[in-house]
Amino acid sequence: MTENSKPTLAARRAFLAKLGGAATCAGAAVGAATLGITASVSAKTEPAANGASFPTKDYDWTKHQWGFGVDATKCIGCLRCVEACKRENDVPANAHQFRTWVERYVHIEGEEQTRIDSQQDPVNIEASGSEKTFRFANRYRDAKVDKAFFVPKLCNHCTHPACVQVCPTGATYKTEDGVVLVDETYCIGCRYCVQACPYGARFLNEEKGVADKCTWCYHRITKGLQPACVEVCPVGARIFGNLKDKQSPVSLFIRNNRVQVLKAEMGNAPNVFYVGIDKEVN
Amino acid sequence: MPKHIVRLILLIVAVLAAAAIAAPLLTVDSFYRFGHYRANSVPEIAAKEPVYQTPRYCYGCHTERRAQWSAGNHKSVICEVCHGPAQGHPQNGKLPIPKDAVRLCTLCHEAMQGRPRSQPQIQVTEHSGGQQCTICHNPHSPKITTAAAKVSGDAAAGKQHAAACASCHGAQGISPNDTWPNLAGQNAAYLVRILSAYKSGDQTDAIMTPLAQALSDADVQNLAAYYAGLSCKATAGGRPVGDVTAGENLAANCVACHGQAGRGANPAWPKLAAQKPGYLVNVLKAFKAGLRKDPMMASAAKNLSDTDIANLAAYYAAQSCQSTK
Repeated sequence: MTENSKPTLAARRAFLAKLGGAATCAGAAVGAATLGITASVSAKTEPAANGASFPTKDYDWTKHQWGFGVDATKCIGCLRCVEACKRENDVPANAHQFRTWVERYVHIEGEEQTRIDSQQDPVNIEASGSEKTFRFANRYRDAKVDKAFFVPKLCNHCTHPACVQVCPTGATYKTEDGVVLVDETYCIGCRYCVQACPYGARFLNEEKGVADKCTWCYHRITKGLQPACVEVCPVGARIFGNLKDKQSPVSLFIRNNRVQVLKAEMGNAPNVFYVGIDKEVN
Repeated sequence: MPKHIVRLILLIVAVLAAAAIAAPLLTVDSFYRFGHYRANSVPEIAAKEPVYQTPRYCYGCHTERRAQWSAGNHKSVICEVCHGPAQGHPQNGKLPIPKDAVRLCTLCHEAMQGRPRSQPQIQVTEHSGGQQCTICHNPHSPKITTAAAKVSGDAAAGKQHAAACASCHGAQGISPNDTWPNLAGQNAAYLVRILSAYKSGDQTDAIMTPLAQALSDADVQNLAAYYAGLSCKATAGGRPVGDVTAGENLAANCVACHGQAGRGANPAWPKLAAQKPGYLVNVLKAFKAGLRKDPMMASAAKNLSDTDIANLAAYYAAQSCQSTK
């Protein structure tokens, strides 16, 4: 025992010394984070005075608060919005990753469950003939349909976004003008945000290894254009505008219609306002 | 103070000091500028160039198309919906012109459960038998509205002139011959259009061309007014070669322009009810062979067999030209 105790003690000391070193490093990291948080608190309380004409020279985000309207009574399910979004935003060209999508709700006579499909249903992929183009198959042509309608969906750009709250790296955030964005250089692809979103609006972009989502075409709206999906909608089912401007299309849409939001009970305060959706839609 | 406590305090101080030095080095400048994110990522995202350019971008060059499109009922469908995003055009070449119009148009216009009633929808097979939509519809202004020629003729003056036509078309506009058309009660605007076409050479006929060339514009108007005002015979009679019932089924495709039972829907197109069957057969064959030129009729007649043509002629000849309403 005694013979062996000396080398054992030495080994223990050496081990503890190493542990101490490691603890110092870890402590440094924790401390940095603590300081970071204190710094962030002071930054948040700082007025966004230098926000004038930010983020671009000709655009001041403090003068805008973007909002989106969907009039589901007008939607014809042509999926031009889905195709335009894919092309505008380099969304991977497959049938399963979308920043915006359209759902079809069909009540068939005598059935209790409402049938729901979107463009990524295998039957609809087959009807379109390719994963790069989109079309709803006319699969209910001969069915006895009580009621059917289409509902366009996209990121709700919530006032209290759950996805932003869970992001461990500060890679996703809410801008001053009300858009939830993803910083691709800071995203580590952990998918917490994908899980957190109650609306299924996010996905992992496998080509880039980062979380991907609707930006309301931030690069377009900051240049005075409409989001691509709104631009191409042939029937005006998608409405977009500045909520701070009382005469903007979306302000008028909200004022002149009785609008609702999806899953209001989740407390995220969504900013996509719907007209003409049914009890099954959420 | 025990030595190990002092060491612990020193360790904590060292850690905090290291953290204070490390924090600014590890955080990029723009982080925390507005919140817990990198402020510079916002202008980075905003800097991306738009792919869809909006119609304003197209106006500069495509003025003619713009005029057509903006006056029609497709004006809510922007250019890039059908032609694809215009980024890089015209530098990088032309934008595609969709080849398969049936496939494209049915994206919005195929009758489908769930589409609002206000959306114009068709059953493709019944509507066109699967032929290309662009044969009848101009995609930039799809509503078919052939402008009816204005008729301001004097029927009495027309009657004077009509004496020259009587030998073939009958004194009362009812042709004595199976191969020449009845004119009584025909749409005046159509008569003006067709006579003007003979006059200008857009349409040729060994007999009609020289006769029409001798007419003045006023004569054309007067003649049209005169014949349109005459009462047509109830049915053409004659010997029915084709099968009326089979013709009736085929005629479902003609209703949009020629009206129910061929009694006319639009004054720009001819009434067919009680028309001479021999004449109808000849005309349909002429359209099919391309001897008479009309883009809509060419495509309509293209797939008709000789039996179909005979059946159609028999059906229209058997209809009463006087509305039963």
